[in-house]
Amino acid sequence: MTTLELDGVHTYYGESHILQGLSLSVEAGEIVALVGRNGVGKTTTLRTALGLTPPREGTVRFDGTDVTGMEPHEIAARGMGWVPEERRVFSHLTVEENLRVAAHSAADPGARIAGAYELFPALDRFADKEAGDLSGGQQQMLAIARGMLGDNDLLLVDEPSEGLAPQIVEDVVEALRAASADTTMVLVEQNFRLAMDLADRFYLIDHGVVVEEGETAGVTSEDERIRRYLTA
Amino acid sequence: MSLGPLAGTAAQVAPLVDPGALLATGGAVDGLQTATRVLAEGIGKGAVYFTIAVGLTLVFGLMGVLNFAHGAIAMVGAYLGGLVLVLLVGANTGTVATILVFFVALALVFAVTTAAGSAMEVTLIRPIYDRTPTYQILLTFGVSLIIEEVARIVLTLRGIQPNPQWQAPMGTAPDVLLGRTELLGVGVRRLYLFEVAIGAVVAVAVWAFLTKTLYGLYIRAGSEDTEMVQALGVDVRQAFTVVFGVGPGLAAVGGVLLMWDPIWGPSVLLSIDVLLYAFVVVIIGGLGSFTGTLVAAGIVGIADSVTTWLFTTGIVTFPGLSEVTIFLLLVVMLILRPQGLYGVEEVGGH
Repeated sequence: MTTLELDGVHTYYGESHILQGLSLSVEAGEIVALVGRNGVGKTTTLRTALGLTPPREGTVRFDGTDVTGMEPHEIAARGMGWVPEERRVFSHLTVEENLRVAAHSAADPGARIAGAYELFPALDRFADKEAGDLSGGQQQMLAIARGMLGDNDLLLVDEPSEGLAPQIVEDVVEALRAASADTTMVLVEQNFRLAMDLADRFYLIDHGVVVEEGETAGVTSEDERIRRYLTA
Repeated sequence: MSLGPLAGTAAQVAPLVDPGALLATGGAVDGLQTATRVLAEGIGKGAVYFTIAVGLTLVFGLMGVLNFAHGAIAMVGAYLGGLVLVLLVGANTGTVATILVFFVALALVFAVTTAAGSAMEVTLIRPIYDRTPTYQILLTFGVSLIIEEVARIVLTLRGIQPNPQWQAPMGTAPDVLLGRTELLGVGVRRLYLFEVAIGAVVAVAVWAFLTKTLYGLYIRAGSEDTEMVQALGVDVRQAFTVVFGVGPGLAAVGGVLLMWDPIWGPSVLLSIDVLLYAFVVVIIGGLGSFTGTLVAAGIVGIADSVTTWLFTTGIVTFPGLSEVTIFLLLVVMLILRPQGLYGVEEVGGH
């Protein structure tokens, strides 16, 4: 079953034409990586899917429903989670409060949050600490946990390794693997090798369109069809 | 409390500080007693400033909108509250009944102005969220002017003002509030204690709403990152509508408090005067900060009280001392710490 489908999507920031007819699909249970140089439209693809930057043309379908033009909170409430670039935790709220915002629609928010603490034990220790006081890695864990709490079918993860030390990146990768057991995932990641390690399939984006796609197995950044789109 | 007195000060020839009065006052009064009285009155004033300013900071914190109609709605609150009291309180109405009517007026004014504020958000503010803040400033300022002019027309047509006879709302204040009560051996106006009590109830209610309810959680989260809250499945527009209603509602509650205050009383000029004080409080406290508003209201209230005492005792003969001091505080804060005491560098908005 197709979880997410973008069909001929054109998205703009003001007059800047970012996505120029981009199409992709994500099947249930898989991890799909979006790769490409900076500024080619990877983050915009995630924002378009979630309705944060709605497309002017084209269609976005989520779990078989046309969600084009819906408000972001309506799309999110249908089960689309977001782990944004630079984490964007609510820095003046405690860890627990950050999770409570995300778990608001759950039948038993307390149980959902307890489940998140089981998955990310480090967060439990800092439940009453303001999120702004956490380290970068801890904030990333919180952002991932928060993105998963809405009982989501799909998690959009944007640059999870950005700005983190290598050891912390390993922890984040483990957290994402754990999250992917229950959730379909679209991953935007600058670290090509990490993206290929985590994902089942990839889309290579350039100038707002998909230029390559396929299975990730055996793909390296040295492949000629990849390299020419990743190097300046 | 308008800035009017400043205009006349240039022509004054008397010294601004009277050393004789300073010596005489210093020798005549007990320092501790005076300090207690001035402090108590300052906290009373601060409670009113807090009640009015907290709505402004809530609206800015969540929505990034500076509501220039905030003061006009406080003015409407003063008149609406006054109307309820004039209609329901007569010469034979007892103290308890009068205070009960006051609380009925408070609840009624809060309900009406909250509904009006929410309607304003839906019909006027929502269509311009995506535009620059200039549009919001011009629109809310325009609403403020319309409210003021409508108030003037109604007051004139009904013969309410400038007829000085219509001081009935102030006249309805029960004697029990107009007297003084002993506090550390000093007589403090009970009206100020009453204002402190109302301000404390408002502060606790707003604090409990923000920290103990899910809606308050959305508002605090939304004041940091509105888009992220939406992406977590929360309909932020609903929160906007509620907050844009509650903000003016609290301003109007502050207006009702001012109605009994002999220094203020009901007046169309409340619109701009109250707005200026509210802006000073939220800027000193930090735009969008509840704690900052509480602390800054106390600072401004005490500064107001101390400078008023300096003037009324004749130590300083400059009548605009209070306003000048408060706006100096504002200027110093903007130079030394532009984000205010508890403010963050960027809040709310879209």
